[in-house]
Amino acid sequence: MDKDLEKLLFNPIRLKIASFLISVDNASFKKLMQISGASKGNISIQIKKLSDAGFIKIKKIFDKNYPLTLISITRKGKKLFELFFKELKSYKNN
Amino acid sequence: MESKEQISIINEAINKAKEDLKPFGFNFIFWGIFIIIMCLVHLLFTEFIQQSKFSAVIYWTVLPLLGMVYTTMYNIKNGIKKGYETHIGRVVKILWMVFVFSWILVILPQSIINNQNPIQDIILLLAITVTTTGLILKSKSVGAGGIILFLVFYSIEFYPLVNTLVYCIIAQTFGLLIPGLVLYYNKNG
Repeated sequence: MDKDLEKLLFNPIRLKIASFLISVDNASFKKLMQISGASKGNISIQIKKLSDAGFIKIKKIFDKNYPLTLISITRKGKKLFELFFKELKSYKNN
Repeated sequence: MESKEQISIINEAINKAKEDLKPFGFNFIFWGIFIIIMCLVHLLFTEFIQQSKFSAVIYWTVLPLLGMVYTTMYNIKNGIKKGYETHIGRVVKILWMVFVFSWILVILPQSIINNQNPIQDIILLLAITVTTTGLILKSKSVGAGGIILFLVFYSIEFYPLVNTLVYCIIAQTFGLLIPGLVLYYNKNG
């Protein structure tokens, strides 16, 4: 398995975020906090790591003057996740 | 972390991304009731609503536009509260945007210019949109609602003597209201 990819998704919080984002069009920061069960600070770090790797994209909008962060998986992220899952399955079968 | 554990994390996260059918149900119920009331008011106060050439057009444009503003705000608010948008939800949203634009840009100007009753055209457009929504959501009740709307469309074509507003009430009841209630009270979510 690609070492960088393995390292990126080895963290359970990042894996939870990536798995949730693969099945939705976009999700809010708050929802990802709820899904992963991580704290605000921790999730910010993990999201930044995923974003720096080009795995996800972050969009900031305003809802009634309150900032709202929307996160979605990129095309590259989808391909990497597929690769990761395929290899994970082959590991499990072997 | 073992591969088995990783797969279980993936499964768990994916299962949390289920589409909630209740908001779709709410939209169907709202529009079903809204249009039925509008038809009944039109039937009861026909002379008042059709007092001038454009009064009926204004009645059938301004009120649905207000309804659209309300449902758009409801859907935005609900989307923010839910915290995510599924692929299915996005496709259905785009589909209904196409319905709204077709109504505003094609049917409405045509009915004003040619001075013709737009109900039959709207029912055809609604039949296509509801049937497609049913196919996307894999909902038998919504799909059946769409088929009933097609039947109402052809009934207007072959039995034009009955008041089209009566046809409209039938179309809204079986095409939107009942499928909406089924979606709203669906226990499987």
